[in-house]
Amino acid sequence: MTTTFLANRPMPYCRGCGHGLVVRRLNDALVRLGLEASQVVLTSDIGCVGLLDPLFPEIHTVHTIHGRSTAVAAGAVLADRLLGDGRMKNIVAIGDGGATIGLLHLAQAALMNVDVTVLLHNNMLYGMTGGQHSALTPEGFVTATTGSGNWVPALDMELFVRSCQGPYFARKLATDNDLGDVIAEAIDFPGFALVEILELCTGFGVPLNHMKGSSLRAMVEEQGQRLGVLVRRDDRKPYHEVYRARFPVVAAPDGPEPAVTSTPLPAVAAAPAFTHGLAHPTSIVLAGSAGEHVQTAAAILCQAAVLSGLHCVQKNDYPVTVGTGFSVSEVTLDTEPILYTGVDAPDAVLIVSADGLNEVRGRGDLSRLAPDGVVLADAGLPLDSLPEQTLGLPLRATLTGDQAALGAVVALVHRTGILTPGSLLAAIDVLGLRNRDMLRGVVDSAVGLNAVESPAARSVRG
Amino acid sequence: MTLARAASPALRLRSGNQMVVEGALRAGCRFFSGYPITPASEIYREMTNRLQGRGDVALGAPDEISALSYCIGASQRGVKAMTATSGPGWALMIEAFQYALMTETPVVVTVVQRLGPSTGGATQGGQGDVLLTEFATSGGYTVPVFAPSTPVECYALAVQAFNWSEVLRTPVVLLSDKEVGMTYEALDLARLPAVEVWERPAAHPEGYRAVQFGAPEDVPPFAPVTGPLKVTLTGSAHNKDGRLRKNDPETLQVLEHLEAKVASRAGEMALVDADLQEDAEALVLSYGITSRAARAAVRLGRAQGRRLSFLGVLSLFPVPVAAIRTAAASAGRVVVAEENLTGLYRRALAGAVPDLELHGVNAVGHMVRPVDILEAL
Repeated sequence: MTTTFLANRPMPYCRGCGHGLVVRRLNDALVRLGLEASQVVLTSDIGCVGLLDPLFPEIHTVHTIHGRSTAVAAGAVLADRLLGDGRMKNIVAIGDGGATIGLLHLAQAALMNVDVTVLLHNNMLYGMTGGQHSALTPEGFVTATTGSGNWVPALDMELFVRSCQGPYFARKLATDNDLGDVIAEAIDFPGFALVEILELCTGFGVPLNHMKGSSLRAMVEEQGQRLGVLVRRDDRKPYHEVYRARFPVVAAPDGPEPAVTSTPLPAVAAAPAFTHGLAHPTSIVLAGSAGEHVQTAAAILCQAAVLSGLHCVQKNDYPVTVGTGFSVSEVTLDTEPILYTGVDAPDAVLIVSADGLNEVRGRGDLSRLAPDGVVLADAGLPLDSLPEQTLGLPLRATLTGDQAALGAVVALVHRTGILTPGSLLAAIDVLGLRNRDMLRGVVDSAVGLNAVESPAARSVRG
Repeated sequence: MTLARAASPALRLRSGNQMVVEGALRAGCRFFSGYPITPASEIYREMTNRLQGRGDVALGAPDEISALSYCIGASQRGVKAMTATSGPGWALMIEAFQYALMTETPVVVTVVQRLGPSTGGATQGGQGDVLLTEFATSGGYTVPVFAPSTPVECYALAVQAFNWSEVLRTPVVLLSDKEVGMTYEALDLARLPAVEVWERPAAHPEGYRAVQFGAPEDVPPFAPVTGPLKVTLTGSAHNKDGRLRKNDPETLQVLEHLEAKVASRAGEMALVDADLQEDAEALVLSYGITSRAARAAVRLGRAQGRRLSFLGVLSLFPVPVAAIRTAAASAGRVVVAEENLTGLYRRALAGAVPDLELHGVNAVGHMVRPVDILEAL
């Protein structure tokens, strides 16, 4: 059995620095647990804690970037547990500076309960860069940047870990005789474990505060913080167990993976190829309100075009709020492969709500309408304000708001003859849409919609 | 690569983002972590559904820094990993990206560009992150960057991105954009281009060192953490044992090696889509979504009887210099079309092929139109 993992060489730390003590106690813990060198990964942060590597010549060492050590370790652990042999013991060495800049990574690892062990070397300042204060610097503590004593209270890591539902937290002094036992317990703990280890930086903390290590305990207590193993919960499973229970391994098919893998493609209805009446490349703008299935209607149009032997592209646009305001789809159909996907001069603009009208006005679609372009608009909209090519249709009066966009598509297809209504019905089947029967009903009823008379209304070509 | 034919009932509508997912899975990606951002969110969602559906790992991250850091950790364990983001998230990932480069950790970052600067426009396209991507590292190390213009190219180049990332042990960017990523087109999923899948070179005990290479362009064999060979990784400058050093000769060799292993393979990595004519009046060179407008412009111009050449650059970096020189040699005038204000790739080309006189066609806030390109040819 291994008796030590430590190299026989001097510690790289300042004389009297607590880091050397932590390294020795960590070694004690690894030996006591009977771990193999190859299964241990020491992930270190930036700062003096990052000097671990030469001290453990047989153990994997991953020296990361500032604050991110916990996240890199979490990725490695989850890959190991879920996709590997699950032997990894990943121990993160981080300072109070790394904990400050990477607090979110600690929070997420604790919330998820990733099986990593974090040794937070808290000397209450940034030692390597000249002794600046951190979020873990206590009130009154003198640092290079708090010359009269820190005036902001320190983050209490116990409360932090508790609020993140972290299942294991201990606060120890580097000089504690049982530090090795606690580190071993934390490494052995099946889940997220954080051990905060208080020490003094001999380069800055000691001279600036005229303190000795022996006064650390009193300082912790003055802050109202406690020492010892303070959190140990057995009611949370580690993340990889929760994940695996939810997402079991699905056996991969034998042999090389086919180009097309597990996406279940909708079954193709026994649909014959449909005919189309497209005379030239055609761009269609379909504009309505978010949440009213504008994009679904456009997808049905596209799929119908594909079933009719046409090339097509579909682009969707919506405001950042997604669930309110406009929803616009642009569809281009062509008998040739479509190169340019922009719609500079739409051949048809379908407007099914006031939101849609506002948006096409803002975009300028109506002023860019192709010379023989058409506009189909819901009859409830102010048709007088629309171009003279506009045809009003009682979409929202006859159908529901959710059905108006598809209704407009049906009307366009029916009146121009670019596609057959049958291809729309087949497209609904091919897309495997949930409300299939309702959508098919819309196609049937919208074919029969009559144009509303209005002064500006003219008949549509075809 | 050609656009899919439309006549088969096997055709389905797929977006560029969805085909990035198909490519990543085909390449063997088993770990994804993401933070949502338009226009890349669809990749996050689909990778999550697909990977979780088969028991592989997809993690929602609390920020983009975490997302890439998780991927790096997974890759160091030996698993192929990817994240996806857009400009604002990419800016946050750059430190971890450099860490991957310095530690020779394979990882793919798909950047689906949108209008910038800053928050810019979430659903407005753009090609403004070209130089931010290529010159993301301190020191200007060559970052392989692939730029698709169609859903099928998204698939094929996602596989290429993984392949080069793995065999070179370096992070690679798949640089898409909103108009490629979020546009749905008909394609035949059963007739995608044939691709090869490459793996990172594996380390053996004999002669093993943490950073083992002979010639500068050699790629060090990979050993995973928790394997039998001792891994020493650091983002600090280091010698071949992975030990922190600043400027001793071996450490400088490592730094030069990081560039040499990529730059020396520029020829092998070059991917272009060329449609050239002898004695062309002009060549239009483009990439990503704008290369489609460029092809349309060439088609329009030829229909008017003009002699025009087209070069679509699929591997933006390393710059495919030889292919560009070949295309330019028989053309009178070279025009670079791209959807950004100041001609970002044109600036990169000015350094890579300094003797070529380059003219730009640029747009911001809207797609470059074929008529604008034709006017400049």
